[in-house]
Amino acid sequence: MEKMTEKGRIEGIVFRMFRQTGSIVLLAVILAVLVNQIRSDRLPLVADWSPEARMTLESGESMLIPLEEAGELCSSKKAIFLDARSSELYEQAHILCARNLSWEAVDEYFDAVMADIPQDALIITYCDGVTCTQSKDLALELFYRGYENVRVLVNGWSKWVEAGLPTEKGLKGYSSSQKGD
Amino acid sequence: MPENAAKSLNKKKTGRNWKKSIFIMCRLILGGVFIYASVDKILHPAAFAEAVYNYKILPDALINLTAIILPWLELILGIFLILGLWLPGAALLSNLLLLTFFGALVFNLARGLDIHCGCFSTSQEATLNLCICLHIIRNGIFLLLGFYLLSHIFFEKRRSFSAMMKGQL
Repeated sequence: MEKMTEKGRIEGIVFRMFRQTGSIVLLAVILAVLVNQIRSDRLPLVADWSPEARMTLESGESMLIPLEEAGELCSSKKAIFLDARSSELYEQAHILCARNLSWEAVDEYFDAVMADIPQDALIITYCDGVTCTQSKDLALELFYRGYENVRVLVNGWSKWVEAGLPTEKGLKGYSSSQKGD
Repeated sequence: MPENAAKSLNKKKTGRNWKKSIFIMCRLILGGVFIYASVDKILHPAAFAEAVYNYKILPDALINLTAIILPWLELILGIFLILGLWLPGAALLSNLLLLTFFGALVFNLARGLDIHCGCFSTSQEATLNLCICLHIIRNGIFLLLGFYLLSHIFFEKRRSFSAMMKGQL
């Protein structure tokens, strides 16, 4: 008898737990969607998070640059490459002639790295990984600071190495202030 | 003999009071953490959507939905935990959420993904690992509090139920 009632009690608690859990989730969903619909900075319920969509500016212009084009611009030295990864990764290896402007230290080193680059120069930013946001963040920062011709090489480092394009090691692309002089 | 019985009853009462105080503390701490965690996400939904994307676990179609709903779920959960409303459900949901966060962090540590930028670190930098490890430890502590809440709700109710049954028989 006691075993039966104990089983019923457990079932009762579990049922109540799941019923309450479902109700809380439902309440949150209704509230969240309602608030999202009335706020000015609302998010679309479903969005396109592909690299192409993420690299498109509000004006509709794409910041993406294909690997082949970037490779040609590197060999003809018609573009300036900015490595948005950390200085440690940059020192291990980076795209030939790229400068390091780590996204984490952008405020600290921006002036030193960008001092001799004109605002109309073609700049290509890169980091590593398809979902890496550092290169995009750096590109937007450059746009914000008045650089008009900025492109992003998505998953730049991995794609560059896979294609066998030229790389180098060390801190050659560092400005004197980044070296701590 | 009655003196001994009274002493043991007092001991039991003190123990129960302690457990009740710890239970309330756990509720308040976890509730506060959930509310604190939700505020910034509710204020900046786009930035939170980017953070969800950086975890690289969910399919694209679920990223915005998660960024919209999760902060409100945390806020309601926090309020319910603090006010003591629907505690069995709130405790179960807290544990489910904390387990999910914990699993996501461990998964990304194992595959070397930096959740701050969504980028893979080929060098397995020590700072990156340390940073994620601290996140994991912090989440582990919250998870322990969540387990305590759930076990307290479950076993405390069983004790009171057994006592009630004994009284009836």
